[in-house]
Amino acid sequence: MCPKGSSVKGSLLLLLLMSSRFLFKAVESLPICPSGAVNCQVSLSDLFDRAVMLSHYIHSPSSEMFNEFDERYAQGRGFITKAINSCHTSSLSTPEDKEQAQQIRHEDLLNLVLRVLRSWSEPLYHLVTEVRSMQEAPDTILLKAMEIEEQNKRLLEGMEKIVGQVHPGDRENEVYSVWSGLPSLQMADEDTRLFAFYNLLHCLRRDSHKIDNYLKLLKCRLIHDSNC
Amino acid sequence: MENNTKDATQANTEGQSAPGKPKIEKCRSPEKETFTCWWKPGSDGGTAANYTLFYRKEGESLTHECPDYKTGGPYSCYFNKKHTSIWMIYIIWVNATNQMGRSMSEPHYVDVTYIVEPDPPLNLTLEVKQSEDRKSYLLLKWSPPALVDVRSGWLTLQYELRLKPEKAPEWETHFAGQQTQFKIFSLYPGQKYLVEVRCKPDHGSWSQWSPENSIVIPSDIKMKDTTVWIFVAILSSVVCLIMVWTMALKGYSMITCLLPPVPGPKIKGFDTHLLEKGKSEELLSALGCQGFPPTSDREDLLVEYLEVDDSEDQQLMPTYEKDHPSQGRKPTQLDPDNDSGRGSCDSPSLLSEKCEEPRIPAPTFTIPEVNEKPDDPGTNVTHNWDPQGINFKGKNPYFNALGSKSSTWPIPQQSSNHSLRCSYHNIADICKVALGTVNGPTVSLGKEENHALNYPTTIDTGGEETTDKQNELGHFHSNVDQGTTWLLPNEKMPFMSPRPMDYVEIHKVNKDGALSLLPKQKESNGNTEQASAPDSSKEYAKVSRVMDNNILVLMQDPRAQTRVIFEESAKESPQPLQHNQAEKNLSYCTFPPGDCRLQTGGLDYLDPTCFIHSFN
Repeated sequence: MCPKGSSVKGSLLLLLLMSSRFLFKAVESLPICPSGAVNCQVSLSDLFDRAVMLSHYIHSPSSEMFNEFDERYAQGRGFITKAINSCHTSSLSTPEDKEQAQQIRHEDLLNLVLRVLRSWSEPLYHLVTEVRSMQEAPDTILLKAMEIEEQNKRLLEGMEKIVGQVHPGDRENEVYSVWSGLPSLQMADEDTRLFAFYNLLHCLRRDSHKIDNYLKLLKCRLIHDSNC
Repeated sequence: MENNTKDATQANTEGQSAPGKPKIEKCRSPEKETFTCWWKPGSDGGTAANYTLFYRKEGESLTHECPDYKTGGPYSCYFNKKHTSIWMIYIIWVNATNQMGRSMSEPHYVDVTYIVEPDPPLNLTLEVKQSEDRKSYLLLKWSPPALVDVRSGWLTLQYELRLKPEKAPEWETHFAGQQTQFKIFSLYPGQKYLVEVRCKPDHGSWSQWSPENSIVIPSDIKMKDTTVWIFVAILSSVVCLIMVWTMALKGYSMITCLLPPVPGPKIKGFDTHLLEKGKSEELLSALGCQGFPPTSDREDLLVEYLEVDDSEDQQLMPTYEKDHPSQGRKPTQLDPDNDSGRGSCDSPSLLSEKCEEPRIPAPTFTIPEVNEKPDDPGTNVTHNWDPQGINFKGKNPYFNALGSKSSTWPIPQQSSNHSLRCSYHNIADICKVALGTVNGPTVSLGKEENHALNYPTTIDTGGEETTDKQNELGHFHSNVDQGTTWLLPNEKMPFMSPRPMDYVEIHKVNKDGALSLLPKQKESNGNTEQASAPDSSKEYAKVSRVMDNNILVLMQDPRAQTRVIFEESAKESPQPLQHNQAEKNLSYCTFPPGDCRLQTGGLDYLDPTCFIHSFN
């Protein structure tokens, strides 16, 4: 082989690698920028835009899932009376109105969002599994559950990036609420099982709304200086 | 929680009972910070009932009463910000109490998170603006409802607007997203549009539509366009003025060029309405022609041989094959077709309007028309009778060749236009037929041969010597009895074009004063009244003039002789020779007498119409 040819090939290969790296970079959903850089503000804005987009997107199927389940399975069973104060994330002291939400620090709020998101990783996984095995569950609920699980993962990643940018170093060690409703989901008793699903969906709807609201507050506060 | 419900059916002696069970109907939050619940009372049981609302929050055990019964109106409970928590279930119920008892409503579970319904947007403004490329559009602007906190991001509103022209039945809806303004293009100028807008929070309900706002889209005329239009208007007005001026100056000639006047048939006794109706039978009978279109026996009347002399003065007379008058004609000039109705109408002597000189009517009227129309026996050729009549401008050599040849026909000099134009076409056909039968100097048709009237009679000015006058008449009435055909020019028949006229040999004058025209070879000019025996070789005599007493003055020779062709009783009304049954229906080509002018000297013949008219 001609050494000249090999060097040409090598340079071509290198060029190819570099370009592919750039390509891969473009495909990356969340750009990473070192903290302190000027252009990070832009990327934080992008991060928040994407996070809000995800959180907003997640709440819609949650709400639909709940409504559908409620109409199909929960009529006349009085589940709502039993679903009082039964969410596993209610131990997380989240703000309960606008004043409280505006008074909390953004770092705390961000951490709170992270906690809630982390708290839902496992329940969502089991929800999909159990809905799939539930013969009477329609496909729509299953598909929505799967979608929510997927997007929740992405949102979690994005939020971790945001937190890494906003105040890196103050990382919590994976604090979250533990969900223990799995046995109820697998109960043989239909009423118990259905209520377990009802309750899970009810809590999911609420928490997805909470996250969405918090992130929009944070976005307006941090990116738009409370002037959305 | 107690569900103390008194049985409302229990009534006291006065008919009063405990109040009915109220029902919480609706709870709504306009901004996700406060909310209001309304209930509907049950029957009040006859006496006024007192309603109280209680609630309990999720995660709490305390029962609270409604903090505000007034703000929301009757049967309402308003929860202000202090009492409102989000992402929390409220358990609410209403107690109704009256003298007789009380009742309680069903608990109502409500989470404020999901009952958000804002007020409509405010301050909807409409404005028509111009974009950079001169397009006009409608700019809509509005502001969020007053209570909603959008700035902090607590609520994120999305807007929707709808508009329609004022009279349109349906709205056109546009989603505006989170922006508080909107541009609409492609609106119709001059229309009034109505616009409404509403909003929806993220994960909430749509508000009501805002109050309607309207705007009229102005027309799209710009200043620059106005200038252009003014310029265009001025230019077009100038052009119009020029056109009007041109029309005024040359209007008449243009009109005559574009729309030449159509000569009308002016055959006495001829009914144009018959033409319109297309009843040729009736028409022809009115003309006095029978059997038109001529049947095959017409063939006999056709001139089979035509010798035409091109010379100005003379032309060969078409030789007659038969007794019937042959039509001397030029192929180009005369229509040998006896069916051609040109006949008298074609005759240059047929001057309805102007009769400049006596002319010998051509055996066929063809002069103008012959040229135009092919000889085609049996065909109805409509001739355009020259409304001007046959005008021989004095150059007609009608019979200057009288002496020269026996069968010489003067060639119409003027060949350009048909001076003789009959206005009626069918009659022209008739005349043509008559013409066809007319041949030579004499135009007389044996009645047995020619029953059709349509022979233009070329008036034989008499025997061989008679001056032939061209009869412009459109009809050639064959006299059944006499076998002569009269070519009576119709009054209206135009005279032939000032061409050399053909000659008509006047055969005799009927006892009733009609001129009989004979085919040249057939009969001698035996008319006693006719000029003296013509030269044997000379078959025609030219009529120089007509005297007042209906005397034809003939010229013996082309130069200057005058002869009296005949005279008739002035009193006798001339009649066509034909005495067919439909005599009265005969139409004649007549000429107003006044139009006849006598010419002497160079005139070759006299317009028979002039004297024929006198017969009428």
